[in-house]
Amino acid sequence: MRPESQAADGEIVRAVLAGDRERYAQLVERYRDRYARYATRMLGSVDAAEDAVQDAFVRAYDQLAQCKEPEKFVGWFFLILRNRCFAERRRNRSSASLEMANDVAAVDRADGGAETAEQRRALQRALLELTADQREVFVLKHVEGLSYGEIAERLSTSIPSLKMRMHRAYDKLREQLRDHT
Amino acid sequence: MSGHELHPLIKQLLDGDITLADLPAELRAEGEAALRLLAGVDRTDVSMPAVTWRVMAQLERRRRRFLPWLLAPALAIAAALVVWLVPRTPAPASLVTVRFVLVAPDAKQVSLAGTFNQWDPQATPLVRAGATGVWTATLTLPAGQHQYAFVVDGARWVPDPGAPAIDDGFGRRNSVLTL
Repeated sequence: MRPESQAADGEIVRAVLAGDRERYAQLVERYRDRYARYATRMLGSVDAAEDAVQDAFVRAYDQLAQCKEPEKFVGWFFLILRNRCFAERRRNRSSASLEMANDVAAVDRADGGAETAEQRRALQRALLELTADQREVFVLKHVEGLSYGEIAERLSTSIPSLKMRMHRAYDKLREQLRDHT
Repeated sequence: MSGHELHPLIKQLLDGDITLADLPAELRAEGEAALRLLAGVDRTDVSMPAVTWRVMAQLERRRRRFLPWLLAPALAIAAALVVWLVPRTPAPASLVTVRFVLVAPDAKQVSLAGTFNQWDPQATPLVRAGATGVWTATLTLPAGQHQYAFVVDGARWVPDPGAPAIDDGFGRRNSVLTL
């Protein structure tokens, strides 16, 4: 028999729905970090991202009975987190601040000088200026390393529409980063 | 094409569809600069270890808020029966069943110490739910205010992350449960 810690997502979802509430912690433990980076880059702040991830897990718990395919819990959860991130972005559209960009770029790697660090910060600031749609496709491709095909599957959209969003994002970033290239 | 837009071939380069070698010579410098910029994207991993207990504490806190309301009718009926059956016996103090939860994946043992067990860290052990790292204990306590803390591995006193806490006057924080 498989140990509980290695149980499949579907098995855990069914156990939680049957009343074994504590096992939900296994799903949280399993996926909280997988999308931590996505939420952080989407919202521009680790604190805001942590709140969003927490809230998404609580919402997912509340709606767990609506998870039609328990084996695909993680894909279903991602869409809840995504909605939460987009809603948060709408609420705080005007507050994408320098401070938030610095928060994200705070961990500067040691492989570059001040100029590189400044370029990175400028890039983070420019990313905050993209629309949520543009930013999401940029984050999924260039931060999470997904292919267009994988992103299209996850977001239930077409590759050409993703490319269109991305190419607009490139143009916007170029415009913002004129002085840094 | 306006000066604000990247050349379509540079976009294909950034998408990974073509390489620098595929670019015409006049676009290579711009292509290299664009790739350098992309390399500066922050891909640092982000970890949120506190999220697990925050989520579980929030769910538990919410459940506790509802529990007394769910139990109240049953308690009222039980109290009424006692009064009706033994009219001269004073009604018992209201009791409320509460489940305590702590997420502590690395703990070997967890117990509860509080005003309800004379702060005895041996008296009320929590049970680990399989390999989940979630420890629970279900107690039936009299209505009123109780103070408590979790004791992890017999030595570390930890306030309940899902409950308000007060200073115990000796530099420690006690959690407060009002039933």
